[in-house]
Amino acid sequence: MQEFLELLPRFAVAALLTLELSLAGAALGLAGGFLLHLFRLGGGRVFALGCGVYVWLLRGTPFLSQLFIVYFGLPVLGLRLSAPEATVVSLAFYSAAYFSEIFRAGWAAIPRGQIEAAHAFGMTSRARFCHIELPQALAFALPLLANQLILVIKESAVASIITVPELTMTTSNIIASTYSYVMPYALLIAGYWLLTQSVAWLAQQAARRIPFLRTPS
Amino acid sequence: MDTPDLFTRCLGYLPALLDGALNTLWVAGVGVGCGFLAGILLHRLLSSTNPWFSRPARVYVSIIRGTPVLVQLLVCFYLPSALGVEVPGLLAATIGLSLNSAAYQSQILGAGFAAIPRGQIEAARTFNLSRSQTLWHVEVPQVLALTLPALVSEMIDVVKASAVVSVISVTDLMRVGQQLSSSTYRPLEVYSMAALCYLALTSLLSLAAWVCQRRLARR
Amino acid sequence: MSTLPILKLRAVGKSYGENRVLKGIDLDVMRGEIVTLIGPSGSGKTTALRCMNFLEAYDEGEIWIKGQLLGYSTGEQGRRTRDSEAAIAEVRRPVAMVFQQFNLWPHMSVLANVAAPLILARRMAKDEARRKALAALERVGMAHKAEAYPARLSGGQQQRVGIARALAVEPELMLLDEPTSALDPELVEEVQGVIRSLAQDGMTMVMVTHEMGFAAKISNRVVFMEGGLVVESGPPGELFGHSRTPRLQQFLKPWLERSLAP
Repeated sequence: MQEFLELLPRFAVAALLTLELSLAGAALGLAGGFLLHLFRLGGGRVFALGCGVYVWLLRGTPFLSQLFIVYFGLPVLGLRLSAPEATVVSLAFYSAAYFSEIFRAGWAAIPRGQIEAAHAFGMTSRARFCHIELPQALAFALPLLANQLILVIKESAVASIITVPELTMTTSNIIASTYSYVMPYALLIAGYWLLTQSVAWLAQQAARRIPFLRTPS
Repeated sequence: MDTPDLFTRCLGYLPALLDGALNTLWVAGVGVGCGFLAGILLHRLLSSTNPWFSRPARVYVSIIRGTPVLVQLLVCFYLPSALGVEVPGLLAATIGLSLNSAAYQSQILGAGFAAIPRGQIEAARTFNLSRSQTLWHVEVPQVLALTLPALVSEMIDVVKASAVVSVISVTDLMRVGQQLSSSTYRPLEVYSMAALCYLALTSLLSLAAWVCQRRLARR
Repeated sequence: MSTLPILKLRAVGKSYGENRVLKGIDLDVMRGEIVTLIGPSGSGKTTALRCMNFLEAYDEGEIWIKGQLLGYSTGEQGRRTRDSEAAIAEVRRPVAMVFQQFNLWPHMSVLANVAAPLILARRMAKDEARRKALAALERVGMAHKAEAYPARLSGGQQQRVGIARALAVEPELMLLDEPTSALDPELVEEVQGVIRSLAQDGMTMVMVTHEMGFAAKISNRVVFMEGGLVVESGPPGELFGHSRTPRLQQFLKPWLERSLAP
């Protein structure tokens, strides 16, 4: 019990860093993924192909290898990032690929007839995009977006390998100095579990507030 | 002496990287294979009407899905040694990946089991097939065929997730990359090559799945 | 020939929660006899059939197969305990079943479907099982499709394979649950033909059917059920020609009108 109380503040600080890294990475990735999606929607064939290749590269390789390229590889080209910076940048590039696919699925879920209806009522393509497509696609994609944030939180553990003092690294440090294993690992697991469960719970609450998602059942 | 050009250097990394890639495939393959069997068991527990079985199984799935693979591997590797049992890295890696994959596969397989019409199981019962015969001869082959695409994408996920086994001293693709990087001082090339090897593995896997599925569909 | 019924039902009852779908059924089936169960949907006839091999667990009364109680053991003080699956399988052994929806295993070839019960449940050597399976397929005229997969067959062909699968285990009693109900009208005849030829060979059968004409021609005895009870039973001529109860008369009316029409 005493061990628990002693460790708790350090874990809280570390969990906060994990959350910060993940949120920053996911926010940038969300923006990047949305841009990718827009390019795909309206940028012509070359853009679409380029986006496709990007998604294939990023989804076909482990996040760890992407992080190593950014952290160890980019300095060769003169771009030196600190470990937390490299983590956020890598998480952003990594998650952008997944987010763009989620947006694509969201858009694919909109029935064609609705877009035709918007056409028929003479809506501009911008109005159609903002008022008809975007709200529906986002609502549909919400659970997937939350799930992607969870994946980002879990991937951020890899940052411990390049010595970012987030949850996993902090735990390893504590273990190295105290030789106690069980309590730190239990706290580590509980920490990630609470973070990911809260995201899932928040997404559920949010989905419930979207009136047009309520099914009659 | 001239340093060889970029292309020649990258080719030079390949033999070592391919060795690592084989280890990666091996660890991920065994992980998914054992995870499949454990996933079936887990699915049975999850769908049990006895809460003493189904509740712990649900907690297990939730914890595995809510925590990073890296954490699971560290626990598999270091916790036993703290309790006085030395587990070699390779074993810890396969156990960790199996335990991880079992949780995900139990969900995939659950959908497959649910898709089998009840009548087929009833037919097995009337013809006096035992429960395990029904499972292995009637249900599992069909579940495999039904869930193959999802299982392959699980295999791809495990191949990617397995990159972190390098931290528990398994000489997989990523670890070989680290070794090459520290011996050549060319991290950008080496890690890019390693990433391309992963890309080849995952792309080949999805290609194989696509071919398999077309074969099955033609039957 | 023994006078012991191969199948004996005594006051068999079955409830789903509050809903009592069988309210005490008595039935004796002798060796070589063909009994058809008819009645409106929801009358309990399919449930009765499914209880006869314990696919559904009956909860009142007794079902005896060749003198052995099916599904339960009576312990001290007359309390019943449910048997293990293995013990049930032992009593069920002489009984085979043909399903309305065929219920072939789609991932196995036709031959494998018929051989599987022999190999898995009867522990027969693979070669012998294949030979037996092929003979059963020959019997229903499906040997030429032995290597095909069920999805490639017509409904009538699938049902003939279903019958071959039942024949292959050399049953002493065959239960047929609406064997032609899932078939397109033009495929009904081929399956009825196979069942008729089994009848000529002296196979003991209990069949649930909606095909009154077929029931009239093939059965030794017709059992009319309604509301979970046997309302009337007897030889087909008697039942179809001179039904005693108004319930049966009403049930048969549409069919009689159709068959008497020019």
